[in-house]
Amino acid sequence: MAWSIDDWPEPIALSVEDARKDFPILKREVGDGKQLIYLDNAATTQKPQQVIDAMSEYYRNNNSNVHRAAHTLASEATTAYEESRLKLKHWFGATQSRLVFTSGTTEAINLAAHAWARTNLAEGDAIVLTEMEHHADIVPWQMLAKEKGVELRWTPFDLETFELDMDAFTIAVKGAKLVACVHTSNVLGVRNPIKEIIHLTHEAGAKLIFDAAQAAPHDRLNFEGLGVDMLAISAHKMGGPTGIGALIINEPTFQQMEPFMGGGDMIREVHLDHSTYQENEHMLEAGTPKIAEAIGWGAAIDWMAQWDIESVHQHGLFLAQKTVAGLRKIPGMRIFGRHEEGDGAVVSFLHESLHANDLSAFLDARGFAIRTGHHCAQPLLRKFNIAATNRVSYWLYNTEHEVDEFISAITDICNKYA
Amino acid sequence: MATTEWPAGLLELIEDFSVAFDASERYEMLFELADDVDELPISEWTPSTKVHGCQSEAHVLACLNEDGSFHLRGAADSKLVQGLISITATALEGLSLAEIASFSPAYVKEMGLKEALTPSRANGFLNMFKKVQHEAALLGE
Repeated sequence: MAWSIDDWPEPIALSVEDARKDFPILKREVGDGKQLIYLDNAATTQKPQQVIDAMSEYYRNNNSNVHRAAHTLASEATTAYEESRLKLKHWFGATQSRLVFTSGTTEAINLAAHAWARTNLAEGDAIVLTEMEHHADIVPWQMLAKEKGVELRWTPFDLETFELDMDAFTIAVKGAKLVACVHTSNVLGVRNPIKEIIHLTHEAGAKLIFDAAQAAPHDRLNFEGLGVDMLAISAHKMGGPTGIGALIINEPTFQQMEPFMGGGDMIREVHLDHSTYQENEHMLEAGTPKIAEAIGWGAAIDWMAQWDIESVHQHGLFLAQKTVAGLRKIPGMRIFGRHEEGDGAVVSFLHESLHANDLSAFLDARGFAIRTGHHCAQPLLRKFNIAATNRVSYWLYNTEHEVDEFISAITDICNKYA
Repeated sequence: MATTEWPAGLLELIEDFSVAFDASERYEMLFELADDVDELPISEWTPSTKVHGCQSEAHVLACLNEDGSFHLRGAADSKLVQGLISITATALEGLSLAEIASFSPAYVKEMGLKEALTPSRANGFLNMFKKVQHEAALLGE
């Protein structure tokens, strides 16, 4: 029987204890028998058993290529694959829009650059970006700028408040053709003023793409309600498998797109002297798609649908705020970012004398998985004149006890070695 | 090079590390060893002393003692990395350039450090070790 939105239960407030039971990996030990405390969710979240089962079940019972053969397995695989697309469209409020599967957020932004911007922008046109972008939302536009002679305009942010300079944005967006902006920063945790950015962008007659990789695990983004033109997301940061993401595209923007890669699922007819293409999302999904991954992502959305997303968001923010309060008590610790209502669940920090790599190595030896490095946002870090930070990031299965353990461990390490 | 053939100074370090309780203790020992190296001050860091492929900023300088034997100076912004340079300096101290050329980097594994280090840092260690061997070979030319 086909999936319908009625299959999702009425969401209930997050129960961390119940949610946690579905993640077998959280029970494991690391190193010398230390209990794992996983605080690197902005890099990738762990996967619930339901996702692991859905992908195993597909390979065990349904594996087949999609959209091609008329046999039973092909039909089952196609139905499951397209059902996942439908689930995602419902989840992201995009039922009247297009959802193209990609390998992740990075490929989604590259797809926007190749399939839309390359066709619709010409020499002298401008793209507005911000200085808090992930490399995935910088490099594709630099490559396009080099190829097409497009101008890139950068919106700065305040080093104290971590807020975008909206006055600068207002000036930059005038006459621009595209705005590419991060929804929630993977380093600073700041959720940008989304509605204001959308308003100003559309007032200027430009298109807008949001990098929502960090927002999607914590926010129920309403694509059509917000009126965004394109939205780039990844499955693996919201309980789904690695290797799959999506670009959600509104219909007018989709109609302006040209195919990016040729072959496989994207064709309608191929002749020796020309080819015609599919007119739906398949036009942008060349080759055999990520079938098991799409099914796994659908299972992740099914799993998330049981929780009230606002309670998920508030839980992550609470843990981030508690972390900040604990870190502020450590002498020499500097915190980068904002952790107020609406912001994300990441906390970046750097000790003035204990090297970021040394701190993370000491934490790893005690069972804590945290991120260290430039977080694929070198221009952002350069603004602070630093090369790396440490970062903890939370999701719905992290507990207050884990934060207490983390603060206790890092305080002890800093006392001993800083 | 077999374990029994490690130079005495290195053998002592390997024995110290072998009785460490866990990774935390091994890191602590590494952290303390960082202070023992003949430190190359930042003012002497140059592009030619830089170890590439290491997550931290690490620098090494191959030198000769008065008797012509090998001596290593080095430093890093990460104290754990500087600790690895320190161990390497102890391992290679006073050896001939020919002995440096055939020296095995397997001592970090014997010390239980290679498993404890992240892959990129482990690669960084090998890059550092190869750079030291390369610089030593240049000293002999």
